Amino acid sequence: MTTSMIRKILIADDSPIARKILKSCLPQDAGYELHEVGDGLAAVQKYKEIQPDVTFMDLTMPVMDGLGAIAKIREFDQKALIVVFTADIQKKTMEKVIDLEAFMMLKKPPSKEAVNSALARVEKHLKESR
Amino acid sequence: MEDQLEQSITDEEMDILQEVMNIAFGSAAADLAEVIDIYVVLSVPTIKVMKTLDLPEYIRSAVKEYDRLSIVEQNFMAKFKGLAILIFPSGIGRALIAMLDKDSESTLESDPVEALERETLLEVGNILVGACVSKVAELLGDAVIYAPPRVIVEDLAQDSISRDLFDPDKLAVTMQTVFHFDGEDMSGLLFLICSNESIGWLRQALHEFLKQFE
Repeated sequence: MTTSMIRKILIADDSPIARKILKSCLPQDAGYELHEVGDGLAAVQKYKEIQPDVTFMDLTMPVMDGLGAIAKIREFDQKALIVVFTADIQKKTMEKVIDLEAFMMLKKPPSKEAVNSALARVEKHLKESR
Repeated sequence: MEDQLEQSITDEEMDILQEVMNIAFGSAAADLAEVIDIYVVLSVPTIKVMKTLDLPEYIRSAVKEYDRLSIVEQNFMAKFKGLAILIFPSGIGRALIAMLDKDSESTLESDPVEALERETLLEVGNILVGACVSKVAELLGDAVIYAPPRVIVEDLAQDSISRDLFDPDKLAVTMQTVFHFDGEDMSGLLFLICSNESIGWLRQALHEFLKQFE
């Protein structure tokens, strides 16, 4: 059995339901250490505190939106792996997300397959960059 | 009535509905951006349960910064039944015409502006309301049919939203999204008002929606 490179996951979403849905799509037996926050500013603070292996980031959030939070996290950690998890599927939003060098984008509501595929890509990236 | 309001929909149901509305409006914004070269800045939707009698005042309060309004209204019917109201400050129709008209031979000189404005608002309303309501219905396992939309151009804010929308003794669930058109200094509000008779179905459908992820 291979050891997962992903240990800590940060989920930033103002909606408790969106967080619940995302958590339900994560493999339940992987032993991830999950951290949750409800706005972009809290995401930046929590990121600095725990330095997660991957962050799932909503875009439309109060206090600080996801794009602002990604930019702030990038200033702190150029290598941060951020999966944007959003209902905002406009092309221009995708361009903004690409400009901020997010790892990838997941459309809401997610499927287990899409979340597992994202985790596999993160895992592969972490292994290759070790 | 306070007890009735509290019992009508729980906090968890409101959270689920907020997420459903968020997904639906995101989809609607993407559809609009395909038609007009525009970027729609989304906000967190607001969900409220209130007496229908209080609805006009609630909506008036939400648009109090607009002196005059342009409104697109459309009823939708199925298990999910209610009214969609899309509200813009007046003049936005003309700005949208200019954006839609970039590649068209039609000009403001050759067509009556008010007719064009009405058509443009209808088109934008069709996309935003249709995509949003249909997505909410789809996520909740329903499919709606629509009554023809009504457009009100250049009305005074205080006059536009004064009539009774539903039975005044009943309750309604409102889903409100404020949006901005980035770089255009334009904004608007979309209300989806779910009628009292749909609330029982809505609550059950919200739980079914969440159950698929459990």
